[in-house]
Amino acid sequence: MPNGATFADAYPTQARHIRAAFWASFLSLGVGAFFGLIQALHRTDILRVIESQTYYTVLTAHGVFLVISFTIFFLVGVFQWAVTDSLERPPVDMRFTWGWYGLMSLGASLTAFAILAGFTDSIDVRANVLFTFYAPLQAHPLFYVGLVVFVVGTWLAGADWFRSWLAWKGDNPGERIPLPTFMVLTTMIMWYISSIGVAVAILAFILPWSLELTGSLNPTLTRTLFWYFGHPVVYFWLLPAYLLWYILLPKLAGGRLFSDPLARVVFILFVLLSTPVGIHHQYLDPGISEGFKFIAMTNTMFLLLPSLLTAFTIIASMEHGARQRGGEGYFNWLTALPWRDPAFTGMALAGMVFAFGGFTGIVNAGMNINYLVHNTLWVPGHIHTQVGTAAALTFMAGAYWLVPQLTGNRLVGRGLALVQVVLWFVGIVFMTNSMYRGGLVGIPRRTAEPQYEGFEYEVAAGSVGELNAQLAIGGTILFVSAMLFLALMVLTAFNGGTEPIDDGSIPPALSGPEDSPAVLDNLKLWVAIAAVLVVIAYSFPLASIVSRGGLFGPDIGPIPVAIDAASTVARTALEAVSAVVR
Amino acid sequence: MSNVARQEDPASVERIEHDEFDPVGTLALIAFYFAVLVLLWLFTYFVEFLGNVPTPVVVA
Repeated sequence: MPNGATFADAYPTQARHIRAAFWASFLSLGVGAFFGLIQALHRTDILRVIESQTYYTVLTAHGVFLVISFTIFFLVGVFQWAVTDSLERPPVDMRFTWGWYGLMSLGASLTAFAILAGFTDSIDVRANVLFTFYAPLQAHPLFYVGLVVFVVGTWLAGADWFRSWLAWKGDNPGERIPLPTFMVLTTMIMWYISSIGVAVAILAFILPWSLELTGSLNPTLTRTLFWYFGHPVVYFWLLPAYLLWYILLPKLAGGRLFSDPLARVVFILFVLLSTPVGIHHQYLDPGISEGFKFIAMTNTMFLLLPSLLTAFTIIASMEHGARQRGGEGYFNWLTALPWRDPAFTGMALAGMVFAFGGFTGIVNAGMNINYLVHNTLWVPGHIHTQVGTAAALTFMAGAYWLVPQLTGNRLVGRGLALVQVVLWFVGIVFMTNSMYRGGLVGIPRRTAEPQYEGFEYEVAAGSVGELNAQLAIGGTILFVSAMLFLALMVLTAFNGGTEPIDDGSIPPALSGPEDSPAVLDNLKLWVAIAAVLVVIAYSFPLASIVSRGGLFGPDIGPIPVAIDAASTVARTALEAVSAVVR
Repeated sequence: MSNVARQEDPASVERIEHDEFDPVGTLALIAFYFAVLVLLWLFTYFVEFLGNVPTPVVVA
């Protein structure tokens, strides 16, 4: 890319494609955030605009729109930018690139339709199964078909990036993989290994069951396959944020990445360790023995290593920037950082929230204390600090730098953008503080009406009213912040005739790839080791689940049917009683 | 990345290379973080174990 040229100048077609991915992502953010606001006000009983039964449609939409559509559309855009920019070449065939984008959009639209149709009785389609779609909760087949098409789209996206890399390798034999491309390829390897689990769960069991081709399934098996994918998927959300922290944040701080080799080690550790840990989401599931859960816990604790390595590398890179800007002392250098830059401040705040959320993750990961917070509001607190801030706020902050590069337009409202990222931080502190503390006193999650007659939660400091107020205020601030972000993005897109402040160049690392062993770039080796770890962690639990419950389970019928039957019985009984009373 | 040419931060006052850079601030900040983690663990222990009575033993 010539000096001073934006990405949009150098690769206009690719920039258009990435912008399309970003718009799909931002649209999902807008819709998902709106549902989040409804939930925050509903479960605190401040404003109930929907029936409590509809809460689950809202909750499903909030989950799927945000953690599947918003995050993944954004990350494919970031990855396409990273690969194109660092390999300095467009995709081999742009039609293929548009093809996977089309598949992802089609899949997302089908799933979105299946969920949103739940709001009206005039269409006989429902998918109130939440983002985890645990069987025997059953959605309309369109929901699952959409998810499959979407995931296949991401697989093809990965194939596209591998193809670009192979083409580049042919032209540059013996060269180290550029770091951004290395991060994309390793993340996609992790995604391939892990998404096989959800693909098998849907294609072999849940979809045929929802189409009534098979009469039953084994819920423990499909849950286990879901969580085989369900933990690595959090790294699929997080690693693009890591990419932005490693590649962009040092530059924004005025410095250079401290160590390219450490960054490679971190991404390899995620390839190896992300998948053989999923059972830690199932500590309370019957049908999986404690021994397997213990192994999953041990693996999970190893996963702290790459995150702590990241904390070190990123902070050291920021410190390098601060020192170059004249920062001094043990802590005073922090004041030399460019806190007025919304892209920098957003990412730094996201990292800070992530560091705290990491602690709560250790609580979730520990078998004994997990029992105390499992299925409580603590868990949504954790997910909102992690994907809802570490990833989401980093994406928004990253967009303040990336979107000008992708449009060739100057960011509109830099000051407002700073307000936006700070608002998000404040909102998340209020909301998750309430969620964590509520979880500790046992307030359940995934509940429209968490208050019970004749029962009081014993809040050690404060009260349930205070927790509710914090949750509602936090949720509202987050919604306002999301809307402000979207408004600034739309205005920037139309801000023609201007130029970005920054020239889009990324300085090289202080310690470059030449300082690291070449084996780090041996992707085949890491895939092989990761596969062995997965086999060790999962073959026995899966065999045990299948031998106990059977592949297709002990005759489990779908839940929505049971609810319909039960509600019909209840309605008939009520009518009979009221007739007698009258 | 594509552009190896250094883009100097306008606010940069000096250029610090690898061997001149000693990240003591990082050490200080991470030490602070670990101290916070230890306090959070103590707090968790208090909330979850010392703050609650033992699980009642139910004899059938």
